[in-house]
Amino acid sequence: MDRGKISKWLKYPEKMGHKYSLWAIYFATGCGIMEIPPVLTSRWDAERFGVLPAATPRQANLFLITGYVSVKTLRPIVRTYELMREPKYTVGFGSCPINGGMYWDSYNTIKRVDKYIPIDGWIAGCMPRPESIFIAVTKLWMMIDKGAATGYIRYRENYRYYRENQERILGKLDWPPLYPEKMGEDNG
Amino acid sequence: MVIKIVEMIVSPILAFVIGVFFLGLSRKIMARIHRRYGPPITQPIIDMIKLFYQKSVSHGILFDLGVVLSLTGSVVVILFIPFGGMCPLSGSGGLLAILYLMLLAPLGMALSGGEGANPNISIGISRKFILSLGYEVPFLFVILAIMTHYKTISIVEIVRAQQGLHWSIFSLPLLLSAIAYFIILPAILGIRPFDIVSAPQEIASGPMVEYGGKYLAFASIDHALHLFIGIALFVDLFLGGAREPITFFIKMLVVFIIGLFINAVFPRFRIEQAIKFLWKWPTFFAFLGLIVALVVR
Repeated sequence: MDRGKISKWLKYPEKMGHKYSLWAIYFATGCGIMEIPPVLTSRWDAERFGVLPAATPRQANLFLITGYVSVKTLRPIVRTYELMREPKYTVGFGSCPINGGMYWDSYNTIKRVDKYIPIDGWIAGCMPRPESIFIAVTKLWMMIDKGAATGYIRYRENYRYYRENQERILGKLDWPPLYPEKMGEDNG
Repeated sequence: MVIKIVEMIVSPILAFVIGVFFLGLSRKIMARIHRRYGPPITQPIIDMIKLFYQKSVSHGILFDLGVVLSLTGSVVVILFIPFGGMCPLSGSGGLLAILYLMLLAPLGMALSGGEGANPNISIGISRKFILSLGYEVPFLFVILAIMTHYKTISIVEIVRAQQGLHWSIFSLPLLLSAIAYFIILPAILGIRPFDIVSAPQEIASGPMVEYGGKYLAFASIDHALHLFIGIALFVDLFLGGAREPITFFIKMLVVFIIGLFINAVFPRFRIEQAIKFLWKWPTFFAFLGLIVALVVR
């Protein structure tokens, strides 16, 4: 950990700040949320890595999608993601957000979450152990350091693609597009 | 004159540094009480740097101005408080000015929140004002008892009268006042067991729901300054202040750590429990202190 390196702080205060202060909104989509309380409390103590639970999406910059995503929870997930301020990072937690997991043939679960919101990293497993969250956090640090955690930029650039995918599943969305200028590129 | 201006610039900065240090220390000590390792002591500064680099969204002019107003209120109060022989606005106002100006911070928060139009904000603000109603009554009694005992409203005079171990906590009427002030201190600071305003589990951090990025950074700076004000006022009024900043800081640290143990162990009050408690015990002690101060005089 290079948290104490003054020279790096002076050179890239932005990157270092985002690295060592990840505030997680853990939206309880599925069973994966059961692994979060021990991570945050005394047993595994995520606070020593700077990971804190945030009360609202406005204050958070890390989004853990814990467990399977049903069609019904996709709408709040998209809204929560759009409420978060940039830069924001998302981590898919467990097998289900990756490819459906054990619900691979279910009629009302989303099989690939990264069609609807961008995902920066995945944690495989059913269930992943709490330690794997720390591995994910350290991976995310490396990605932020190299400038590779660009999920929110991808979302902005390809907003039309994501919005169309969302509307295919959810029907007409009842909130205005986050980046209206990206919507009408072909028509204009 | 030049010294005054330098003091005016230095004392808020010093207050900010001490407040942030207390925030970091509280997280570390709290972690050790929970038997975990805890974050580094610089974590609040890291959080603030991150928040300043984050993009934030505004909900209108008053949303911005309210944050500024609340921060200004805290900074102005600091100028009235003697800090180890340093008091930029010693000539004017004294305790009465502090009493009024301490209401600016919640008022700014309320104005800012009103623009956010989130139901959690309105619940949080109403809770904040109910809680202020709870602690302002004993706080007023405490201040009145001190002013009757020393026959002055100037906080500098009060500090001067306590020089050489004539601390007011050693005299009977003001011991009762000190107990009352120590009990309402967490309510003034808005921390557990009186954190009903920003209860993150119930109303998603109350007035700060819509804050993100810079707004949240300013809110946490405001919290740090508030922490300084509450504890510095206790040290000045009851523990005799100090001639030099180091002694003052050590006294503040002692008060802060004793308060932190209470903060770490006790759960949160409900609103009506908090009001009942605040209007029962601290008010009783403060009122008794005021009566005794009046009789002894």
